[in-house]
Amino acid sequence: MARILYIEDESDIGSWLKNDLTERGYEVIWLESGEGMENYLSDADIAILDVMLPGLDGFSLGKRIKKAKNDMPVLMLSARTAVEDKLEGLSFADDYLTKPFQPDELAARIEVLLRRFQKKDQVLEFHHLQVHTKDLRIIDREADGEIQLTGKQYQLFQYFIRHLNQILTKEQLYEGVWGEQYIEGDKTLMVHIRYLREKLEKNPSRPEIIETIRGIGYRVKI
Amino acid sequence: MKRFFQSLQAKYMVLILVALFLFQAAYLLVAMLAMGFEEDISGEKSKNDSDPNQIEEKWHADAEELESASKETIRNHFSEWKKKYPNASMFWVDGKGTLMEQLDVKGNLPANWTPAFTAKFIKERYGGDPFTVISFIGGDEKNGFIVLEIPRDLFLPPMVQVTEKYGILLGAGLFLIISLFIIVSFLFFRGIRKRLLHLQEAMERRDIDNLPIKIDVQKIDEIGQLEQKFNEMILELKESKQREQEEEQLRRELIANLSHDLRTPLTKINAQTYSIAKENLSPEGKQAIKALETSIVNIDRLIENLMSYTLLMASKHRQELIELDVVRFVRESMASWYPAFEKEGFEVIIELEPFEEKWQADPMWMGRIFDNILQNVLRHAKDGLYLEVATESTDEYDAIVFIDHGKGLKNRSVEKGAGIGLSIVDMMVRGMKLEWGIESGEEGTMIKILRIH
Repeated sequence: MARILYIEDESDIGSWLKNDLTERGYEVIWLESGEGMENYLSDADIAILDVMLPGLDGFSLGKRIKKAKNDMPVLMLSARTAVEDKLEGLSFADDYLTKPFQPDELAARIEVLLRRFQKKDQVLEFHHLQVHTKDLRIIDREADGEIQLTGKQYQLFQYFIRHLNQILTKEQLYEGVWGEQYIEGDKTLMVHIRYLREKLEKNPSRPEIIETIRGIGYRVKI
Repeated sequence: MKRFFQSLQAKYMVLILVALFLFQAAYLLVAMLAMGFEEDISGEKSKNDSDPNQIEEKWHADAEELESASKETIRNHFSEWKKKYPNASMFWVDGKGTLMEQLDVKGNLPANWTPAFTAKFIKERYGGDPFTVISFIGGDEKNGFIVLEIPRDLFLPPMVQVTEKYGILLGAGLFLIISLFIIVSFLFFRGIRKRLLHLQEAMERRDIDNLPIKIDVQKIDEIGQLEQKFNEMILELKESKQREQEEEQLRRELIANLSHDLRTPLTKINAQTYSIAKENLSPEGKQAIKALETSIVNIDRLIENLMSYTLLMASKHRQELIELDVVRFVRESMASWYPAFEKEGFEVIIELEPFEEKWQADPMWMGRIFDNILQNVLRHAKDGLYLEVATESTDEYDAIVFIDHGKGLKNRSVEKGAGIGLSIVDMMVRGMKLEWGIESGEEGTMIKILRIH
């Protein structure tokens, strides 16, 4: 069970979100200011910070957390929506969600961050596949065997898992996995997607796991 | 006064005065130098010694004083004069016309002087060169006469003597001094020119804030004052820019805070609505919750748009134009918008072909434009359940086209608030020197964002 350190001074919002997240199965430590935050840092898996707080603001708290514990994901949750604020927040934080927000969206983002920081070993189910997120073990339930991926295929699939449910353009995928500027017309990515599908999909010509979004890119969705 | 002497005007005047007096002064200087030489060579010489009348009188007086016309006395007399006038020559002819004694005489003198020759000699020498004085010894013609010859140039004024003797030296000296003057004036003007060019260069240099950089003032002359004034102007510019930035910052802060303060209660309403929605509700209750949720989203959107609109109207929206691969940008925007349309059951067609040229655009602004257009489609064109995003390239323009099959702008769905969204699109598109067009009818709406070649 993931532990969330949540700092919010508005008690209405704070108590409501604490309840909601607790119902979703998280353990929530809710503080009304950054005072005493340090005591909970070692226990928490992720921090959710409001920006406008009494005393130190959320940006300063976030930076302190990142300094003390670099591998802890930080999500800024603020009613400040100006681009300047978002940019300042994202200069150190891992995500920035503006208020008002849908708790479903917040929960989804928390999951993405926990996965990204591999805070928990999740077992994801994709049709006939079972994927262990921490070490990216892929089990074919039907054939009851592990699927081995080569280096680039592994990296590509890992990139999809880290950006689960997100549509990725071919530029993003190529630059994310190969680390080089994508050149229009390059077929490398398509070739690797085809290999990956041949290994993962039941019927590679009608892919179910790696979805093609025409005109945009690809998506792996739960 | 000190300032005056530091000025270029004063320096220029000094230069001109020096030029005016230089030639005379140079002549004098060179002459004096040369005279110094001369005196070194010939030793002290009183003024009287070089006056022909004085010499003549003295020669006469000395001759008169000679008592006897013995060889001894004459020789002594000659050698005394020789000491005084080294260039002089002398001879003695006795009463019988015989040449008795001579000293340093150039040319041959006859041994016997006939009265005719004597007369011819006197006639020749009268007023001629050398200067010649003839005296009878002891004032008596029986003793014969003694003759003194001195070259005439001994009596010329010192300047002429010097010119004749040291002409080349004098010319070279003058040439040297005039050259020196020309060099000094050249350096003077070159110095001014160099500093002016330096100033011009400095005025063209720009700091990171796009303002000129201060100049290091080294001299307090006219150019130095100009540089000082220039520095003062930069300072004023900097201050005014800073003031403007502070105001901008204040305005931005104010709007951001206002928006934050509006959103906080909205978040609370959202939270309460969410809690109620989890209760067992009647169909009417569920309907009400749905309406509430929609309103919350709309208010959120409106606050956001109002904020942008206010900033745009005051031209305070930050803009940073970069070379943007706009097709890639559209694709990435669509990647984030796709799920929302998918959820509503839209048919989404995306046909993007790369443009040949990149656009000069601010990605934040571009994102905002797309968001506003797509938000409108999602909210107002739900009936059509169709969205097409495509590129269009002709000889005149590159364009991004958004097509929906809603009921058009005139038959706006119950949800209002699209106007401000499109106003922002309009201001931002024009703010980036792009163009846009909208065609709307019963069958749907088409919006094009164009970049004219």
